[in-house]
Amino acid sequence: MQQKNRCIFFHTTKKYFLPATFVIALVSMLLFSGCTTKKENTIKIEGAFALTPMMEKWALEYRKIHPDIIIDINANGAGAGMANALLGLADIGMVSREVNNTEIQRGAFWVSVVKDAVVATINARNPVLSTILEKGITKQQLRDIFITGNISTWGQLIGNSSITDKIIVYTRSDSCGAAETWANYLGPYKQNDLGAHVDLDRISAVNGDNTLAATIQREQFGIGYNNIGYVYTKKIDASTVVPADDLIPVPIDLNNNGILDDEEKFYSNRMSLIHAINNNIYPSPPARALHLVTLHNFSGITKDFVRWILTEGQQYVLDTGYVPLSQEFINEQLRYLEEGTRPELS
Amino acid sequence: MMKSATVFVIFLFFCILFLLMFRSSLILQTRSLPEILFASTWNPDNKQFGLGAIIIGTILVTGIALLIAIPISLFSAIYISEYAPTKIKRIIRPFLDVLAGVPSVVYGLCAFLFLVPLVKDVIAPWFNIQSTGLCIFSAALILAVMVFPIIISLCVETFTAIPLSLKEASLSIGATKWETVKKVVFRASSPSIIAAILLGFGRAFGETIAVNMVIGGIPRIPNSVFSPGETLASLIASKYGELMSIPIHESALMLVALILFLVVFMFNIFGVIILRRAKKRWNY
Repeated sequence: MQQKNRCIFFHTTKKYFLPATFVIALVSMLLFSGCTTKKENTIKIEGAFALTPMMEKWALEYRKIHPDIIIDINANGAGAGMANALLGLADIGMVSREVNNTEIQRGAFWVSVVKDAVVATINARNPVLSTILEKGITKQQLRDIFITGNISTWGQLIGNSSITDKIIVYTRSDSCGAAETWANYLGPYKQNDLGAHVDLDRISAVNGDNTLAATIQREQFGIGYNNIGYVYTKKIDASTVVPADDLIPVPIDLNNNGILDDEEKFYSNRMSLIHAINNNIYPSPPARALHLVTLHNFSGITKDFVRWILTEGQQYVLDTGYVPLSQEFINEQLRYLEEGTRPELS
Repeated sequence: MMKSATVFVIFLFFCILFLLMFRSSLILQTRSLPEILFASTWNPDNKQFGLGAIIIGTILVTGIALLIAIPISLFSAIYISEYAPTKIKRIIRPFLDVLAGVPSVVYGLCAFLFLVPLVKDVIAPWFNIQSTGLCIFSAALILAVMVFPIIISLCVETFTAIPLSLKEASLSIGATKWETVKKVVFRASSPSIIAAILLGFGRAFGETIAVNMVIGGIPRIPNSVFSPGETLASLIASKYGELMSIPIHESALMLVALILFLVVFMFNIFGVIILRRAKKRWNY
């Protein structure tokens, strides 16, 4: 009797063994995905698209000095990078927006490694292009175009009522650092405020930096915004990179005097814009720092890699198309890195 | 072994269901389901998670896509199975299969490059409406194109499977070919046609990336079909990457996923019931 029972039991277990294993594996994957075994010589990096090309360059150069270390980079968006860094699934999360308070409470620690900037863009066949290039657009006007929708035609923008072409406002449909930064420049706004009060026939959102650039390239009456890496894409020679065809960065009238002064004209090529960002002539935001995030503190080889990025790694920044940090700012970040804490956290 | 494999597949279904329910419970603790479904403002930064406008967008996109796709697919299926010479039939079928298998991102890209300017410069001006072309109508058009091959091949299959004797009987009492198609072929295969349409609906309702590329991504209640909008599926695709690090946002998106899952599930059950009833009635 005993024997028979055991037999049945054994039989049933065998029958359900395969599915049960699968289910247990699946459930444990889903529930305990926070716990992983970490390989000693691997640095796992995930996150923002905006920082990925830079990180790839750094990884390449770093591995020339430390060939035994494996650097594993995965671009999957700032939020995913942040989430996985907080779960301990990634050693470093790349984040292109400000760190949220909820994330700080969950133990996010970050250092800034490089700068990037967002510029507004219009089409080269814009009906009032020459006036814009001569006078620039003020921050208040940009706010009236992107946020309140009060300025609805290109004629209204330059004070010429005979031009009635409507301003078509383009924004991003995916949550992204670029939109967040641009909204932040215009005032105490978030990505969702961009175009929130613009008439529905004058607004659309597109998915991705490159798609937005492509849309403005063909939309005569459009206005949008892009990371500079997606605006300055046309290489004239080894050191000169200019905006893509039909894509014009909007010059901002920084001192609101109604005319674009010579020191406000720095949009002709990437290097002069980077120079303006570096000297704080171009405001911040829309210039912004890009961060590396981890849980509590960097340690071991990861810390060594971040330290290298902040020191020797900085020499590769300009060529890759990003904006270097000032020495003072770098020293500050190095101090945060060594102490494992920063003012925002205390 | 075969049985256990099947059990595993069913387990998978419940795994997904419970995972989605578990992950979306956080947002349901803070507000009621009707509140989320009918409030129209989606603005996670202000803790507003209303899906009303997005649900309207989803219904419009899916509805228009099916309105365009159903008649065109049915007519082409009839042509292929009843009227086309065998030679043409043999050429068309592989083309349809390829169309059904083209990755949706390719459809999305084509729509972005050709359909959007077409809607913006030609179709919307016909109706005297200004549009950016990135709108609900563009999304519905590309969805219709994506649904065609699915409905057509399923319908052709059922039309050709109808016993010849049925058609011969109809023709022999003097019915014309078109009358035979209308009264015999359509009637005999109506459950399968409905099943094909429901499958098409599943694709249209859940299709994400192609829609995401052309719909305009603005979660506001549309003025017309030429306004930008947002669908449930494209909302998840565009917001998930950057928002999953904040628990309440993630939970809201999980709820959207749960709604998608349940709707598709219910329509499938619905389809199965229709098929069974019809089969009983038609006795085959």
